[in-house]
Amino acid sequence: MRVSNSLKMIALEIWLPILIVVVWWFASANSTSLYFPPLQAILESFAENWLDPQEAIQNLAPSLLLLGSGYLLALVGGVVLGTLFGIVTPIEHATRPVLETLRAVPGVALLPIFIVLFGIDAQMKILLIAFGSFWPIFLNTIDGVRAVEPLLLDVSRVFRVGRARRLFRIVLPSAGPQIFAGARTALAIALIIMVVAETVGGSGGIGYFLLDAQRNFAITAMWGAILALGILGYVLNIFFRIIERRVLRWHRLQQARLETAK
Amino acid sequence: MSVVQHEEEEDIDLPTVGAAVAGRRRRPWLGLALQIAVILLAGGVWWLASTLLPVGTMPSPAETFARLGALALTPEFWIAVGITVATFLAGLIICILIGIPLGLAIGASTFATQSTRLVFDFLRTIPPIAILPLLLLLLGAQFQMVLVLVIGGAIWPILIQSIYAARQGEALLVDVARTFKVPRRWFIRHIFLPGALPFIMTGLRVGTTICLLLTITGELLGGAPGIGFEIADAMAFYDNSRMYAYVLVSAFLGLLVNGAFWAAQRRMLHWHPSIRREGTR
Repeated sequence: MRVSNSLKMIALEIWLPILIVVVWWFASANSTSLYFPPLQAILESFAENWLDPQEAIQNLAPSLLLLGSGYLLALVGGVVLGTLFGIVTPIEHATRPVLETLRAVPGVALLPIFIVLFGIDAQMKILLIAFGSFWPIFLNTIDGVRAVEPLLLDVSRVFRVGRARRLFRIVLPSAGPQIFAGARTALAIALIIMVVAETVGGSGGIGYFLLDAQRNFAITAMWGAILALGILGYVLNIFFRIIERRVLRWHRLQQARLETAK
Repeated sequence: MSVVQHEEEEDIDLPTVGAAVAGRRRRPWLGLALQIAVILLAGGVWWLASTLLPVGTMPSPAETFARLGALALTPEFWIAVGITVATFLAGLIICILIGIPLGLAIGASTFATQSTRLVFDFLRTIPPIAILPLLLLLLGAQFQMVLVLVIGGAIWPILIQSIYAARQGEALLVDVARTFKVPRRWFIRHIFLPGALPFIMTGLRVGTTICLLLTITGELLGGAPGIGFEIADAMAFYDNSRMYAYVLVSAFLGLLVNGAFWAAQRRMLHWHPSIRREGTR
């Protein structure tokens, strides 16, 4: 019973993706269009550039390094500062206009400024990624910390729960879902900025590969790179979801309890 | 950390909190003065950086604003701003018109939700910028290219949050409504939509940010007319003050968009705890 149920679930989830791939395969099989090559050719190019270990390392490693460092910087900075600003409302209030302005700058628009200030090396790219993905995490942390259920804080106050305990046991956990929501947006933004930053200077990476393919009118290779980027984004998202599930386990359990309570 | 403790000490005693709030109300100018002080401080840091860095890397605030003023007198400036704003708005509206109804419809059916989940998850995670080269070859460096890029990137958060929103009916409310045999239209109007709205607004917030980011990115990298192109062009000519002026304009646009969004959200979600709390403070 259980097995057939989960089989049904899997079938329900994958029939459409399979259908789309099959339709794409046969619809494009005899394509002579320059812009829409056959799926078979795209997959061959994908295998050649992204599955071969040597090529994959050359094309992927620089990107992952940039993304990882920049995103980590944004995450740590965003959560720490966001918590501080969320708790100490006077700071938040006083700096709000400046923060809102800085946050409003589209990250990519800063690329030229960052090039002038920091050059075209990895350091500039990491800073740009960090700057762009910092804001959603930072602002969501502030919001999450401020939106803690007032009743919970009141109760903890009545019972004289210590400050550190209140921060780690009440404020941060209850801001958790919102912090993760911000971190998820930040991941998407970090990926965009990564690709954009990599088109500057020639140090490998997915963005450079895309630009190179475009310059050489290597449309099939370009499609392969788009596929690779999609898979990279998807895999990163799965990792993200696993971590989120771990950290927010209590939240899920609570939701489940509410569900079964009915 | 000492600052944190201070704040929390104030909060522990309820009467103290009341006094603090009353104090703030009596002196609203203090908050404003602090904000202005921080703005001036930021300007000071910018000015200091511009004098310390080698000449030609960073224009001073005065230089940038003077340049901005001069640019604002030219028709080219307003054409660039107009194209960017129009592309952004058109992209956002199309995303809303497609994303929200489609998302709610898919979310209302478990079959549709599960069937489309993998597809949307995959499409959402492709960084939209990846299709820029392809769009450039297909559509050229025109605003249509930017528009397609914007829609391709910004529709996912709106669509996916709308699906989520439709599935998020609080079980208790649904049961109560059923028990009291609430009419369907009343249910949709007073229970389904208010319950879905916060989730849709979250999607819109993310979608709006991505929309503006992609508009500027498409113009900057794709060379389509607009503010992004002006930034790239100024950089190509090593014209730093013009570059900074246009980056400022893009920041101002972002501010405007965020401000409009918050105003809309406050109106629509005035009952939600996150906003309610802000209001009572």
